[in-house]
Amino acid sequence: MARFRNKNKKAIVKPIGKKKQPSVDHITGDKIPKSFVFSRGKLPGPLKQLELDLRKLMLPYTALKLKEKKRNNLKDFLNVAGPMGVTHFLILSKTETAPYLRVARTPQGPTLTFKIHEYSLAVDVAQSQSRPRCPQDLFKNPPLIVLSGFGTGDQHLKLTTIMFQNIFPAIDINTVKLSTCQRIVLLNYNKETKLIDFRHYSIRLQPVGVSRRLRKFVQNHQVPDLRSLQDVSDFVTKASYGSESEADDEAATVTLASNLGRVNRASTKSAVKLQEIGPRMTLQLMKIEEGLCSGGVIFSEYGPVGDKKKRENKKPEDQEDSEESEDEDNCKEEEN
Amino acid sequence: MGKEKQTLFDKASSSGDLKSIIQQHTLFFDKLIELIPAKFYVPSDDKKQWFQGLSKDEKALAKKESRENIKKARRERFDPNSKKTTLDLLKQNLEKEKSNEDSDDEETEVKPVMPGLEGDERSVTYEELRQRLRRKIEELQAGRNAGSSDQSKKKNEKSEKKGIEQKKRKRDLGSEGQKSASIDASKKVEEDIAEASKELAFSHVKIGNEEKHGKKKRKLSKFMELEKAQKIEEAKKDPEKGEMFAKKHSWKAATSRAAGIKIHDNPKLLKQSLQKKKKKQQKNVEKWNERIETTEKMKAERQQKRSENIAERSLQKKMRRIEKREKKLMRPGFEGRKEGYINQAVETGMRRPAL
Repeated sequence: MARFRNKNKKAIVKPIGKKKQPSVDHITGDKIPKSFVFSRGKLPGPLKQLELDLRKLMLPYTALKLKEKKRNNLKDFLNVAGPMGVTHFLILSKTETAPYLRVARTPQGPTLTFKIHEYSLAVDVAQSQSRPRCPQDLFKNPPLIVLSGFGTGDQHLKLTTIMFQNIFPAIDINTVKLSTCQRIVLLNYNKETKLIDFRHYSIRLQPVGVSRRLRKFVQNHQVPDLRSLQDVSDFVTKASYGSESEADDEAATVTLASNLGRVNRASTKSAVKLQEIGPRMTLQLMKIEEGLCSGGVIFSEYGPVGDKKKRENKKPEDQEDSEESEDEDNCKEEEN
Repeated sequence: MGKEKQTLFDKASSSGDLKSIIQQHTLFFDKLIELIPAKFYVPSDDKKQWFQGLSKDEKALAKKESRENIKKARRERFDPNSKKTTLDLLKQNLEKEKSNEDSDDEETEVKPVMPGLEGDERSVTYEELRQRLRRKIEELQAGRNAGSSDQSKKKNEKSEKKGIEQKKRKRDLGSEGQKSASIDASKKVEEDIAEASKELAFSHVKIGNEEKHGKKKRKLSKFMELEKAQKIEEAKKDPEKGEMFAKKHSWKAATSRAAGIKIHDNPKLLKQSLQKKKKKQQKNVEKWNERIETTEKMKAERQQKRSENIAERSLQKKMRRIEKREKKLMRPGFEGRKEGYINQAVETGMRRPAL
């Protein structure tokens, strides 16, 4: 009967129409690699910021607002990763010596463990610049990646190269638009120190051969101050002092294939300017494991010496548990 | 003095010998020279101390050296035992020049020894230094992308904050002092750039034509894959080449997994998946049988119902007919059709005999 109101009415939640990210690129038909960036164990403040910076770096194919709880295991993440089509995990953790970054491929893939010697946050980098630049759609497209100094000799370096090349989706030359290539990640390997420099830049194209005044005028649409000039021709033809960075050599200029914005026209020379955004890290490859944080160690920085490594080799299944218990212990210690 | 000169001349004219005249002249000039202290007459070899362009430490060293040289020279001058007169120094210098035969020394020989000469020397060195400066600027501009310019830029920014005069002083000293260091840095960076550009790897680029003609890899059935994986494991355990094979295989597997290719090499997992597949198949069979059963059941039920309905209908028809018939005999006062006696007398055995 309608007289008696049922108070225990269940609220019906209508799902908001979320845009589902395609798992397969509808142009090339390849699988788009997606990633999760999360941490294991409690991280101190700056490292949490680093985690957020890394998440921003991996946009758009990553979970920006991923929430992890203490009781989540690696298995939980694996279970979620399968149906969502996530291919890579970037795991941050901290020990007494240094923070570690692990890059792993999900189903059963290899895990590369890097020790972070030094790092700078994105906010610090932006503060150090006089004109930090962050256009709106900077993070709408995935970045390009360039690896230098890795060479083709050593196997562990080759594996690192392949791993990083596959974290970001491939570029299809036929259909790619220049405006989508806005970010670039550089990894440089130093043979002597065995350190990998990790840098993240934003790409900007500036036409070359135009005087500074004209370029600024066209870009900013600001009416210039013509008080001191007799004639407009003075404004156009005045040889203005060139900024330091304009004395670039030919190698840094490219000939565009298409128009990019109002200023850069096709088949004219433009200079490629890189401005640093995002975190800066100095990494050292410590070990490579066959499985996802498990399995045999196929490469180790300090060689197959030491009891710890032998223990790891013997008990691959317990490794994850021991790590988890380690992390929990760390958490408890920090809480206390 | 004047009288002496006249007497000299008289003597000369009286003797009439050219040589003696010249000798007397030279003696006179020598006496004059001896009166002039050596500092002003004899050209010194020491080049003017150039302190700009040296670093702080070098400047301190140079200043120390010059101070000590001055002290030494002063001691020598006032040393009673040295007895070096201007004349002697001049003779020494001439001998040195003859032995060296440098163009620079010739210059000093040819030109009259005047104190004004030092000004030209100074200008020469200034010009040389200016040229050097220009060359260094050009070199810096060439290797501008090195990053050393950033250093000097930052230094300039810092000094601007302090003050205008300090800024000028600092900039001059800083930029010139850093030029030698920055040249080395830029060279090193150029070397690094050259090396790094040899081995560059970029993100994957799809051209689109390659895959059409690629080999089509047939997917092996799970059973076959299991066999393959088991073989691999056995090969790993092989005592002779087991380790090598194992290493090679793990590297290969890791590389291809990183590239996205799926590799099934764990026999345990493969067995598990095989079992899963079996179970799934069994379940499917069961479900299918159930489906068939239910359809047949339903079919039978429906058929039964139908036949029941048909029979019911025909029965109903009959009943209706009977009723119709009986309705005629339902007159008031009558009970319907004769149904028979109360005692059913017709017995099967007893029959009336025929009369």
